[in-house]
Amino acid sequence: MITALIIGVVQGGMYGLLALGLVLVYKGSRVLNFAQAEIGTVSLFLAYWLVTEHHLPWIVGAVCALLLGAAIAMVFERVIVRPMGSAPRLSVAVATIGLLTLLLSLELLQFGPSPRVLPPPIDGLGLHIASVYVSPTQLISLGAVAVIGAGLALFLRRTDFGLGVLAAAEDPTAVRLVGVRLSHVSAFTWGVSGALSALAALFIAPSLGVFTPGVIGAPLFVASLAGALLGGMSSLPGAFVGGIAIGVLEALTKFLVISRNLSATIPGGESIAIFAVILIVLLVRPQGILGRRAAA
Amino acid sequence: MTALATSGSGSDANTPQPQSPRAALQALWNSVMTPRRANIALWAVLLAALPPITERAMPHLFTSGKLQTLDVAACFAVAALALNVLVGYAGQMSLGHAAFMGVGAFTSGLIVGRYGLSMAVGVPAAALFGGIVALLLGIPALRLRGLYLAITTIAFGVALQLSILRIPWISGGNAGVVLPRRVAGNLQLIDNADWLAVLLVVLLVVWLLDTNVMRSKVGRAFRAIREDEGVAQSFAVNVVTYKLTAFVISGALAGVAGALYGHTIGQANSDPFSYELSLQLIIMVVVGGLGSRSGVVAAAFFFQVFPAVMPAWFNGYQVPIGAALLMYTVARHPDGLAGALREARERREMRRMRGGAGDDDDEDIEERGRLPKLPALPRPSTLPPRPEVAGGTVLSARNVSVRFGGLQAVDDVSLDVPRGRIVGLIGPNGAGKTTLFNALSGHIRPQRGEITFMGQDVSDLAPHRRAALGMSRSFQLIGLAKSMTVLDNMLLAQHVLGRYDIGSALAYLPRTARVERELTERAHQAIAALGFERFTDTPVRSLSHGQQRIVELGCLLVTDPELLMLDEPSAGMSPGAAENLAVRLRELRDEQARTVLLIEHNIPLVLDVCDEIYVLNSGAVLASGPTETIARRPEVIGAYFGEAVPA
Repeated sequence: MITALIIGVVQGGMYGLLALGLVLVYKGSRVLNFAQAEIGTVSLFLAYWLVTEHHLPWIVGAVCALLLGAAIAMVFERVIVRPMGSAPRLSVAVATIGLLTLLLSLELLQFGPSPRVLPPPIDGLGLHIASVYVSPTQLISLGAVAVIGAGLALFLRRTDFGLGVLAAAEDPTAVRLVGVRLSHVSAFTWGVSGALSALAALFIAPSLGVFTPGVIGAPLFVASLAGALLGGMSSLPGAFVGGIAIGVLEALTKFLVISRNLSATIPGGESIAIFAVILIVLLVRPQGILGRRAAA
Repeated sequence: MTALATSGSGSDANTPQPQSPRAALQALWNSVMTPRRANIALWAVLLAALPPITERAMPHLFTSGKLQTLDVAACFAVAALALNVLVGYAGQMSLGHAAFMGVGAFTSGLIVGRYGLSMAVGVPAAALFGGIVALLLGIPALRLRGLYLAITTIAFGVALQLSILRIPWISGGNAGVVLPRRVAGNLQLIDNADWLAVLLVVLLVVWLLDTNVMRSKVGRAFRAIREDEGVAQSFAVNVVTYKLTAFVISGALAGVAGALYGHTIGQANSDPFSYELSLQLIIMVVVGGLGSRSGVVAAAFFFQVFPAVMPAWFNGYQVPIGAALLMYTVARHPDGLAGALREARERREMRRMRGGAGDDDDEDIEERGRLPKLPALPRPSTLPPRPEVAGGTVLSARNVSVRFGGLQAVDDVSLDVPRGRIVGLIGPNGAGKTTLFNALSGHIRPQRGEITFMGQDVSDLAPHRRAALGMSRSFQLIGLAKSMTVLDNMLLAQHVLGRYDIGSALAYLPRTARVERELTERAHQAIAALGFERFTDTPVRSLSHGQQRIVELGCLLVTDPELLMLDEPSAGMSPGAAENLAVRLRELRDEQARTVLLIEHNIPLVLDVCDEIYVLNSGAVLASGPTETIARRPEVIGAYFGEAVPA
């Protein structure tokens, strides 16, 4: 039970990061970025290539991965999203499906379908919390996630540019009038969300053990989306908390299914649990746990 | 057959009675076999005959494997058409259409494979089940605007693929269900060419259902919703119901596509019905052209057939190249390739209109600044005679308050609009006039207050219900579906007069056709009254702002409403037209006995036409009364021409 909780928090941390990136882009451009998770996977492959194949220190690989994630998202924003201007949001979303497919196929071309391993940054023993082994990477990542989350929150609330980013979703004209360039806001939100997804991938790598192209596939993406929805689609802290809640829910469901010996009767029960949460949120509290009800 | 068909053109059920029995039979045949139906029958025969004949004539060219590729392509074409109803027409995003296909395949698999019934039972059951699932998902997800449907469907897709379809008592574990092509008993359509014939005929039927929906009020409602939900509501379209309708139709058709796909490949577990397939379907619909039937079908065949015939050196790179092409295509042409073609055609059309003979013809409205006489159409036969209202008050509001966060936008406003009067609503910018309008028309729910319309408490009614009662409103920004033509907007405006249900729209029953003919006639009358005949098939967005205003006024009047609510009608009109507007409004009151509630900044116009005036300031009624008294009130003069505005 406690084991499940801890696994859930670790897994949920990744959902939270992905959800954060999704909401950031959604707030900024009203687009659901289907390539969000795949940007992270590509970055993870870069880290693998640098660290495992070229024996560079882990931290170099990690930094390059974050930069690559940000770069892919920013290039996509500059080359595709911005020229599309006020085109139907659906078409922009389809363009992100194109990006998803492109990244996935490039991973396959370069690395093939065989599983890869990224060695953890720190060898040695982790902690045993209530008989669960938590690896040092996971501990460090949890810390990093907390620091980055707090830093991002501070940046968004305390700087003019950050406030502009937050306000741009509500009233783009007003933001432009106070002197914040909307194109910078858009580039920033995409860039940060790309970096967040790289971070999420690095964060999840030790739990995955090995990874292949497209490893953060539809089920993980749905879990992150559910987290974003649970958080209210527009609240950044809500998205993060929602992601963790979904991770815990998923782990608890798995735990229940296994402990009751139901895994043959109901395979993949956690995907049903997530689907149920989405329906319940929509029916009962569409504004999410931390979202505010929008004015009619 | 063709000769009969051509002679049958234009024959209606109510043509004069013929004398001889032979002529009577001829007339009956003509009314049954209209040119359109003859055309359809010809297509059905062609599609059904072509594959078996071609296969037998050229057995080496069409191997079973190649035919199977075409079979699968036909199934995907049905699935893409299904998704197109939802995404292309109604503008709602589903990322779980592969899951609906899975529902269909497993439904038919259990019925045909396990219980040995015919596909004639299995495939319709797949449609039914697909529709039911769509209804259950749509009810929570479609009440809300935005991406909620996309999120719900993607989660449903994952849950279905990873869990529900793997539950042993549904699927028999990972092996999945067997789907024989059983027609009846031991008769099976094993040959892939015969099966292709069946699939093409089903594709034709789906195509026709789709066509029927799109030429009825249902299709117009879909397109209006895709364009602007607020506009759709003010034309009495129940947005939630129609979004649900689109989703249910789409889910049912996807169920059919899935069942057919299952019967094509013969055995199915949950693997093919993946998130990736859902994404591929979205790609087909968007690249094909968001709402273009032929584009979508072409895209479905292309994506299936192209990889099969691709040169070998291409191998390995087709996916990244395809993905890059997809991004390029949507970035250059967000409305898809068919949309790009459509735009090019519109541009040519406009050039032709501009450059053509219509030079002096086109200028009369713009240049001479005249507003045409507004249409006075007879009361529609489907509506009861104009009801009497107690006390002659059409609309009344009592103590209405609207608050946005900390801002009291409308503060305890009461107002009465007597029948046959023009009532003005004036006040400085930000006084709350439009917010009050939104509260009256139901686009905003006020925190407090009661609104009575035609003697009925409408405070809790949605905007489309109020519109259906006879409340017609315009918007500051033009309240029309801009990408639809003038004629389509006139038809959309008559949504409430389209008295037939969704089933009759799908089948396009004779009754439906008759109602649609009446609506079209009425629309043409209104367009003719405005003098806009040459713009009948022009998309509204290619008209000038002033022309759009005129079309909007026509749309408001075409249903013979009880109350017209106009939000700054003179905005964007040339001075001549604005001056002319006063004449037209007076005509509405004096000749057509209409009731008007008017927001205007053009004070001379207000003083000229209004019988009564309400002055709003900071959300509250500052003054109200007959025009003559209001015009002299010092606080009114202060609010309007006070310190802030230099004289």
